[in-house]
Amino acid sequence: MDFALSEEHRLIQAAVREFAAKEILPVAADLDHHPRFPAEIIARAASLGLLGLNVPQEYGGAGLDGLANVIVQEELARASAGVQTIITVQNSLVCDPILRFGTPEQKSRYLPRLATGEWLGCYCLTEPEAGSDAMAVRTRAEQRDGQWVLNGRKLFVTNGLEAQLAIVYARSEPAPGARGISAFLVEKSFPGISVGRVEQKLGIKCSSTVEILLEDCRVPAENLLGERGEGARVALSTLDGGRIGIAAQAVGIARACLEDCVAHAQARQQFGRPLKAFQAVQWALADMATRIDAARLLTYRAAWLRDRGDRCTAEAAMAKLVASETAMWAAHRAVQLFGGYGYIQDYPVERYFRDAKITEIYEGTSEIQRLIISRQVLDGR
Amino acid sequence: MDIVVCLKQVVDPELPARDFAIDPATQRQVREGRPLVISTYDENALEVALQLKDRIGGKVTVLTLGPAAASGDAIRLALAMGADEAVVVDDSEAPQRLGAAKARLLAAALRRLGRFDLVLCGCESADWVERVVGPLLAEALQAACVTFVSRIEQVDGTLLVRRLADEGFHLVEVRPPAVLAVTSDESNRPRLPKVKDIMTARRKPVHTWPVAEVAGQAGEEGPLEVEVRQVTLPERTARCEFLSGDPGEQAAALVQRLRELKLL
Repeated sequence: MDFALSEEHRLIQAAVREFAAKEILPVAADLDHHPRFPAEIIARAASLGLLGLNVPQEYGGAGLDGLANVIVQEELARASAGVQTIITVQNSLVCDPILRFGTPEQKSRYLPRLATGEWLGCYCLTEPEAGSDAMAVRTRAEQRDGQWVLNGRKLFVTNGLEAQLAIVYARSEPAPGARGISAFLVEKSFPGISVGRVEQKLGIKCSSTVEILLEDCRVPAENLLGERGEGARVALSTLDGGRIGIAAQAVGIARACLEDCVAHAQARQQFGRPLKAFQAVQWALADMATRIDAARLLTYRAAWLRDRGDRCTAEAAMAKLVASETAMWAAHRAVQLFGGYGYIQDYPVERYFRDAKITEIYEGTSEIQRLIISRQVLDGR
Repeated sequence: MDIVVCLKQVVDPELPARDFAIDPATQRQVREGRPLVISTYDENALEVALQLKDRIGGKVTVLTLGPAAASGDAIRLALAMGADEAVVVDDSEAPQRLGAAKARLLAAALRRLGRFDLVLCGCESADWVERVVGPLLAEALQAACVTFVSRIEQVDGTLLVRRLADEGFHLVEVRPPAVLAVTSDESNRPRLPKVKDIMTARRKPVHTWPVAEVAGQAGEEGPLEVEVRQVTLPERTARCEFLSGDPGEQAAALVQRLRELKLL
């Protein structure tokens, strides 16, 4: 067992860390206070190859493994969880399922556009009645004149405002639950797809979160992603990867908390001593560092398993559960350690606090992660 | 055009001061356990070379003198940024050597390399700041030398380079082969490598030459031009001075004090 990163992984980490520090961090607070899509940063990220990290080079991607993806996501999230959300959705929820389940024609049409950042993608699973119960999808897909016709409403779609491509899950078969669902590649230019309500959020504000409306949306037959009725398999496999990306995001947020707390503990004087001289502060920082390291190792392990082609559903859930709860806990401690300064917008820790919360919710709440892990523990599935 | 860029690896100059230490036995900076990076101006030199290659094509070779085992990251980074191949002169003593000895070994390595039109290096290293390698290298190679080069202005017909000077710049016409010692400006900020290129950099050739082979070609070792007897850390002291008077008087006194301290 070797815990050392390879030379490539180290160089990728260094390059993305520099990109994040010089080009994202200086605008991170402004993107939060005045939410807007960071088009220039996303274009720059695309030029560095960060929008198609795992897409093979023959399709215009960087051809990296999943471990490289989590290294990149942590660095991006350390600077701005909002910017990172946009990028991780593109990689894990859009490129990944096309790569795993797409036909050669679908890969040729979509992956080069996504990997180069010409197109942004979004992932449409959640519905008003299908949140944690994701397989209760009600959006319908019917075959008409050799095409699929989609009708329904999708909620909480990240990147939905800017995306040119949506992966949409809809019920194509009469079977209930997971068995009747299919996945579709829906271009925004297809008739019948539109953006509904734009949500105002607590955190990750520069990424859009919208409602996607499907009203007699016509999708060519060849845009079925994966087998007919096998959408649940596409969705669940995709979420394994997505959760590993969220775990990396949470590690990045938690690391931001720790690094800012360390700097503050060294600089801030109270009772004639720097904060770092107080044992309560030392122990808080020690706990933060330990929990972050544990979360990162679980995240790396899950990515490594997925790279090997092994089933990693429980391990991805464990990584996301531990990392997201670590991020929320670390942010809570960070605000407390900063005191009044932690509660005002002049310092970034209140942003970390708001950003951290989403990691316990999206792509499966902590409760759902525990459900997944308990199934593995109790039933071995 | 064949361009060679000399890269030196130094302990990351952005490390906090508490990580800076002197080895009392060698009177050199302790490198063990510290991250090594490409010396700041050498990265600018590489950027100038890559921009020239982007404009007119050619080949960029990076040349480094140092322990091969510790040179991997710097070489891979340079190749990922766009250099075509690398030569490592494997020299475990390199961190002990000063500019004159280094210039002699680099010149020998360049002769062994054979073809080159331009040799670029940083105008000074981030650790010793001697500013001698460029000119001594040019002398050893019997090549032209321009120092404090910030950019290459023109390449067709004649080579025109911009040399930074006090309150302006010189435009210098150079005939290759030439050595350019590069300084930084906004035009040569080192590019970030694309992640894809970090992966493909592995496929580019890296030649490792034992220093003994190169030193043999360098001929007789010259006298040790510089001997370092002792290196000490500067003492940092801080004191606080209060200026009195109304704000106008305080401002005037502040300006005067800053002038006295040669900070203005």
